[in-house]
Amino acid sequence: MRKFLSAKALIGFTLVAIVLAVAVLAPLFIPAERATQMVMTARLQPPSFEYLLGTDQLGRDLFARVMLGAQTSLTIAALAVGMSIVLGLPLGIISGYFGGRVDNVLMRIIDALLSFPALLLALTISAILGPNLQNTIIAIGIAFTPFLARIVRGEALRVVQMPYVEAARAAGTRDGAMIIRHILPNIMPALIVQATISLAFAVLAEAALSFLGLGTQPPMASWGLMIQASRQFLDIAPWTALVPGAALAITILGLNLLGDVLRDVLDPRVR
Amino acid sequence: MVYLVNRLLSVVLTLFLISIVTFGITNILPGDVAMMIMGTQSNPEALAGLRESLGLNDPLIVQYGRWIGGMLTGDWGESLLFREPIAPLIQQKVLASGLIVLLSMAIALALAIPLGVWAARHRDRWQDTTSSTTALLGLSMPDFFIGIMLILLFAATLGWLPSSGFVDPTEDFLGAVRHALLPSLALALGLMAHLTRMTRSAMMGILNQEFIRVARAKGLPERTVVWRYALPNAIGPVMTVAGLQIGYLFGSIIVIESLFSYTGMGWLTYQALLNRDIPLIQSTVFVIAAVVMLVNLAVDLLYRVIDPRIRLE
Amino acid sequence: MRDQTQPAAPLLSIENLRVEFQGETGPITGVKDVSFTVQPGETVCVVGESGSGKSVTSLSLLRLVEFGGGKIVSGKLWFRPDEKDPIDLAQLPTEQMVDLRGDQIGMIFQEPMTALNPIFSIGRQLTDGLRRHRKLSASEAEARALELLKEVRLPEPERRLTQYPHELSGGMRQRVVIAMAMACRPQLLIADEPTTALDVTIQAEILGLIKRLKRETGMAVLFITHDMAVVAQLADRVVVMRHGELVEEGPVEQIFAEPQADYTKALLASVPKLGEMRGKPGPEPLRIPGQPDPVAAPITADTPGEDRPILSVKGLTTRFPIRGGFTRRVVSNVHAVEDVTFDLAAGETLALVGESGCGKSTTARSILRLVDPTAGDVVLDGQDILGLNPRDLRRARRNMQMVFQDPFASLNPFMRLRKQVAEPMMNFGLATGSDLEDRIATLFDRVGLPRNFMRRFPHELSGGQRQRVAIARALSVNPKLIIADEAVSALDVSVQAQVLNLLMELQADFGLSYLFISHDMAVVERVSHRVGVMYLGRLVEIGPRAAIFEDPRHSYTRALLSGVPIADPTQRALKESVAFKALPSPIFPVGHAPAPPVYDEVSAGHFVLQT
Repeated sequence: MRKFLSAKALIGFTLVAIVLAVAVLAPLFIPAERATQMVMTARLQPPSFEYLLGTDQLGRDLFARVMLGAQTSLTIAALAVGMSIVLGLPLGIISGYFGGRVDNVLMRIIDALLSFPALLLALTISAILGPNLQNTIIAIGIAFTPFLARIVRGEALRVVQMPYVEAARAAGTRDGAMIIRHILPNIMPALIVQATISLAFAVLAEAALSFLGLGTQPPMASWGLMIQASRQFLDIAPWTALVPGAALAITILGLNLLGDVLRDVLDPRVR
Repeated sequence: MVYLVNRLLSVVLTLFLISIVTFGITNILPGDVAMMIMGTQSNPEALAGLRESLGLNDPLIVQYGRWIGGMLTGDWGESLLFREPIAPLIQQKVLASGLIVLLSMAIALALAIPLGVWAARHRDRWQDTTSSTTALLGLSMPDFFIGIMLILLFAATLGWLPSSGFVDPTEDFLGAVRHALLPSLALALGLMAHLTRMTRSAMMGILNQEFIRVARAKGLPERTVVWRYALPNAIGPVMTVAGLQIGYLFGSIIVIESLFSYTGMGWLTYQALLNRDIPLIQSTVFVIAAVVMLVNLAVDLLYRVIDPRIRLE
Repeated sequence: MRDQTQPAAPLLSIENLRVEFQGETGPITGVKDVSFTVQPGETVCVVGESGSGKSVTSLSLLRLVEFGGGKIVSGKLWFRPDEKDPIDLAQLPTEQMVDLRGDQIGMIFQEPMTALNPIFSIGRQLTDGLRRHRKLSASEAEARALELLKEVRLPEPERRLTQYPHELSGGMRQRVVIAMAMACRPQLLIADEPTTALDVTIQAEILGLIKRLKRETGMAVLFITHDMAVVAQLADRVVVMRHGELVEEGPVEQIFAEPQADYTKALLASVPKLGEMRGKPGPEPLRIPGQPDPVAAPITADTPGEDRPILSVKGLTTRFPIRGGFTRRVVSNVHAVEDVTFDLAAGETLALVGESGCGKSTTARSILRLVDPTAGDVVLDGQDILGLNPRDLRRARRNMQMVFQDPFASLNPFMRLRKQVAEPMMNFGLATGSDLEDRIATLFDRVGLPRNFMRRFPHELSGGQRQRVAIARALSVNPKLIIADEAVSALDVSVQAQVLNLLMELQADFGLSYLFISHDMAVVERVSHRVGVMYLGRLVEIGPRAAIFEDPRHSYTRALLSGVPIADPTQRALKESVAFKALPSPIFPVGHAPAPPVYDEVSAGHFVLQT
């Protein structure tokens, strides 16, 4: 338990907690219009008392936009990772637990899919379906599935070889009960760690997609879109890029730290 | 020998699957190729005629067969966007991206390995914490953001390096490197973070093993133990991870090349996706996946050459 | 050396050593206050169970304990090579320590399989230490390396220099490690459980080797072990440790004949000694001082039971395919179990013994159909096991249960213990609700675990306690047969004795039949009615326990028995020149069908394989 008190853990927890709090609470305190309201007289203002983090090229309050953007990013990331788990978990368990021909075929397909860089898959799917909020979630979710299935399969393979699974089999446990009682609980730790790290990547992926115009669309407040919009004004208004960039970095860093800490805590005991 | 043959067959099978996936994805497209070529205002009959002549009404299997046949014979079709044959278009761009990928990987490895070893050796002390923190920071910033920062710093403010464009290395090598440097750096920093952590964890695992204790008991100084005994054992796992990262890199170049207007495969793919240029999408996506798979194959074979346990099987 | 009235200046003198580790909640003391000496040319055995601090003590001498997070907090480690002025190893600067290691003090460790760098050749690993300490040139070092390999009697030494570790077996690797430690003719050899991971016959070879090298070079040996029999065979003096403290020390005969401390007495009583069961009719629980006398009356083989054997195995053959190629076709087979035939009566214990790879575990798994045999018959209580469809097989599993070797890995880390013991009963719908709870509680009582353990998780229990839970789980469905697959091999000696006693009590109470798989001959002598010896997948000899132990006929059985160290210092039988034997491979091409075995019946129920 001391591991939860290390500097790494505290920082990670705090960062994630902050971002989560912002994502959940900001929409309650900041009216949505403040993020989309264009005040043409206040374009590209540096940070000031009135506009805490400055304004962008259309005069919109960057503070509001970045706070509300948290909700966008986290929601998309969470739903996308959730989708990859819903798709990948059964695939991985079936492959790892039953093995044999099924495993061979499934793994060949997964291997082929893994040759496509995840970002490329996400971009392609998004481009094909038409970029919008829902399709971004679907695209990232599908793109992350092969990797997750692989990880789950690896864990399932490891657990299946453990003596307690053999003992359960010798005690007459059927496949269904085996998976629920023994396999699932023992792959949970690795899955939790992987889900956390995937969340970090999903936030990154959404930002990249939006940056390229194949993710969330304006006028939504999304960090990736904000960075994209800031490109032209970098030399005169660098804060328009720094603000969303910092937000992204804080979120991804917090999630990565959390994933690391979870890995330290959950893995050594199980192994 | 037998192993190589088996591997080759495996490769062919995977390429086949990759092609199916590529074809499959692009054909869910709710867009009309004919309309894209002739414009949305065209005469419906002319559109129908074009569809017929392009074979778009044939069953998917037939269309797939035609496409695969074309790929195998070198006829990769024509890009709707550029109105040019695709194969030579891709050829140039692959070279350009290859330069960035190699450069960024080289920079990343050169920095990551010593840093990771250093961190593992001084585990849990300030050296470890510093390098781990730096690595984590690098990992957490999106590479396109790093790219923007680099542009801001080196191009806009200091003016040392160009912020866009591509130069053919066969014509002007130095110029090519100048233009490739910033994009490569942007990629390398994130890559380095990941590789440093991998090296560190691989080294820590190795330093815990029995043969390290035996080496120390033999009276070898710690420096020798870490660099001559432990590190060579870590190269294998690190190389494997580096190979997997190549896949990730080829995804990232789509963003980075667009950011720097560096006309490589990434840039090309992005243009294709943006403009729904289906033949081009099919070709670029296929090529990228194929290249990633082949690189992984190469890394695997290299691993087998290096590790005596496998070599002598 | 042993009966010097005037002790010369000791080679090594440990004074009040205290070693601490950084734990999660504060410092943990590994070694509390240990003092003892080692004379030049003497063999001192440090013996204790896990957590005794014996390894930590040995690692402190070369300060290797610092690499594992340990720190020598106080104490002195006086080392006096060549009777010069003593140096305190605890205070020695790192540079000089590095010079000393591998030169004046050599050390060998427990795991030969991982003791060598996998990517360097044997020759390279032998020579780099040499070149560092003795400044030899490459060719001089290589010549010396060759000499060393010959000294440790490694066959084909020239060839080995260019080979890689994975091409050598465990025993061979340990010889190389010994060669490395001996390279600079150390005055002291520290051996930390060097034979624990090796088979009995290989262990005998390595111990003989150490004994010979000691005699030839006059070096002192500090030998760490948990095996009292090894101590009896090797030691001049013995140091007994427990929980980081020194319990007792003295000359070996004295420790064995007249132990002073209670712990030493209990330790000695818990060790099954080969030859103790001569003249006893049946298995007998161990009498451990400080523990209540075992309740069960020993079972004799002629307890009236059914005429029909509870388990009948005929011609059991299990082969594992080796696949290769793109199509994964079968290229050859591992003949793990080849044509094995035996019977097991109700209430009887049949032991299957042999070294690693002999097929005894695979036999057990084949009987339970955890792996599917290639051929043969298995009849349990009248039911043909191999012919059952999956549904009926599942039901038949009620009658045969298994206890596994690894107490840590045979329990689900995420499941409460009561649920794990209940699982077999739940599977077959044998009890529900409060009835189920009662049965679980009764089982916990029966295996000697407090009822509040029912709510706990595996990681909260010790190894011995976990094994009791596993036994409770196996008992829960009232099976006729329990297979114990090296069930006590991973336990400390004192815990092992308790679990063995428990098994014997349960057998007396419930009339259980055991198939007891083990490599430990002394344990087998204690618990079995009949013994079967396996080698390379075949049953080479089988018969009543007394016959096998007192009148072994097959050459392998004899080799096996002669390799077992006897826990009696007055009977030193270690041969210095045990020849190296290479184990033939059980891998054969597809379609290879060995001839069926023929047995000679040399006395009542005692069968020996014809060679």
